[in-house]
Amino acid sequence: MLEHYLSLVIKSIFVENILLSYFLGMCSFLAISKKVETSIGLGLAVVFVLTITAPVNWALHHYFLEEGALAWAGLPDVDLSYLNFIAFIAVIAAMVQLVEMVLDRFFPGLYQSLGIFLPLIAVNCAILGGSLFLVERQYTFGESTVYGFGAGMGWFLAITSMAAIRHKLRYADVPKGLRGLGITMLLTGLLSMAFMAFSGIDL
Amino acid sequence: MRSNFYVLSFMAVITIILGFLLSYSSAVLKARQDYNIDIDIKKNILKSLNIPADQSKKLSQGDIQKLYDEEITSININEKGIISENGTLSVYIAKDGDQPTGYSIPISGKGLWSTIYGYLALEPDGNTIKGITFYQHGETPGLGGELEKDWFTANYVGKKIYNSDGMLVSVEIVKGQVNQSGVNAIHQVDGISGATLTGKGLNNFIAQDLNIYKPFLDRIRVGENILE
Amino acid sequence: MSILSKKSKLALTDPMISNNPISVQILGICSALAVTVKMETAIVMTLAVMFVLSMSNTVIAALRKFIPNRVRIIVMLTVIASLVIVTDQILKAYVYDISKQLSVFVGLIITNCIVMGRAEAFAMQNPPGKAFLDGLGNATGYGIYLIAVSIFRELLGSGTFLNMQIIPQSFYDSGYLNAGLFVLSPGAFIILGLIIWFQRSTTKYEEA
Repeated sequence: MLEHYLSLVIKSIFVENILLSYFLGMCSFLAISKKVETSIGLGLAVVFVLTITAPVNWALHHYFLEEGALAWAGLPDVDLSYLNFIAFIAVIAAMVQLVEMVLDRFFPGLYQSLGIFLPLIAVNCAILGGSLFLVERQYTFGESTVYGFGAGMGWFLAITSMAAIRHKLRYADVPKGLRGLGITMLLTGLLSMAFMAFSGIDL
Repeated sequence: MRSNFYVLSFMAVITIILGFLLSYSSAVLKARQDYNIDIDIKKNILKSLNIPADQSKKLSQGDIQKLYDEEITSININEKGIISENGTLSVYIAKDGDQPTGYSIPISGKGLWSTIYGYLALEPDGNTIKGITFYQHGETPGLGGELEKDWFTANYVGKKIYNSDGMLVSVEIVKGQVNQSGVNAIHQVDGISGATLTGKGLNNFIAQDLNIYKPFLDRIRVGENILE
Repeated sequence: MSILSKKSKLALTDPMISNNPISVQILGICSALAVTVKMETAIVMTLAVMFVLSMSNTVIAALRKFIPNRVRIIVMLTVIASLVIVTDQILKAYVYDISKQLSVFVGLIITNCIVMGRAEAFAMQNPPGKAFLDGLGNATGYGIYLIAVSIFRELLGSGTFLNMQIIPQSFYDSGYLNAGLFVLSPGAFIILGLIIWFQRSTTKYEEA
């Protein structure tokens, strides 16, 4: 069982990196990866929020929204799965708020460093994407938590490596039209090609 | 700054309007969606059984429904391969008059990224593959996603799942091309280049699902009348 | 005498090229890459975004004087999410095969930054008619990129154009192979990077 979870973590970090093979969370990736420190901050915040929202949304889907999920309330025929999107986004927004308040109250140091990024996360597609994938792939509760963590770690890894590369790039003479977004896209392409090498790993 | 009362009532009104809109659209479209899913499954059952023989023609949803009703008998069997009301395994039988012309069973399992769903149909001898289809998967388009293409599924047709000793060996995707003169060529299928892991997944779950149906297949093989 | 005034026309055409949401505003790139393996999915996605973006802009612009500032983000999210659910339902009901391929990416229109970005930046300050045009223009600008990327990826990666075989069989017989790289994610990044390079070199746009 442990082995299964471990292979899921490795798979979600390296093999199916949520950013490099599913393109999720590109907007904040492109905007924030200019500086290494901020990238680490945002990356950690994403890991944090994904690890929390994945199991919460799993429970929400499993006990309330799925077809037949309301059987415990005496409504076995009700299928609310069309409300998935709206419920998930509400949970994410609420969780981000909650995390913000908890951090502010108990870990002011961490809050200081993550604070400004937390509101940004509510509209990061990696978070919503994580929740939608776990429904589509029919993960269990344990798998969802592990997948949330792994996907977050994968995102963290991608944004910090990109920030490090862009840091070095400041001294490069890039053609005019390619500066900024253009070269970042090409680099991301190379980075994702490198990550593809992991798909040969047999887990 | 507006009052809390205004904010709350504004949110309540928005929620009621949108909630009504969503429930309405869901209720209106639900029947059509379910029908689509149902037809898609029936289309794939028919396709695995090679019905109609001319696959190039595009059938309308009505045609599929009609064809399915005419040609297919579906039964439920239990794990001993015997028809049973409470059986959890489904078999779809195509018949020509009273004579069965093929048996289609659902197959599913993990590929590389996703769970793959499909149907595998066997000839009345319970050994030769009549056809295979995959209708739902999340494999990479152009690589693993090629599994739903006709050129790939055609590779399975005519292969045997039992070896000459009567052992259930299933069929296996090999890397690259099958060595046609090899002893096992009859149990092997050409792979998709660049999708080795998808192929591995397919091999695993096809063998697994065939094993679940083995008691049933054994009964067909010895010519028992399975409809009793 | 044109039907649209000069200013409304600008709201429609400006985001198509010179202020393109993808290459200049850097919004909504996630989905631009994920659904561009085939042109068919790219076109359906463009239509879906067009519907959601123009409708959400119109609705939010119409409500802009009533939306309390404190809860505006959540109001926008609710309106957008509802529109996306309706779109998803319609796709599932009428083009089932394509909606199977788009999978979770229709849902991700909710967090597509273009939709939120235009609601916040434009629809909150402008009347519904103009906001509608702005939504349409931005969605078109987004669609141009989506379709451009998908043309290259489909042609190079699968040798087809709208599912029609373009590269003749004789090429394959003499040893030509489809470039599998373009079907996978790196191909998407690289093609989009090159298109942005081309677009910025022609419009002389430079990032600060």
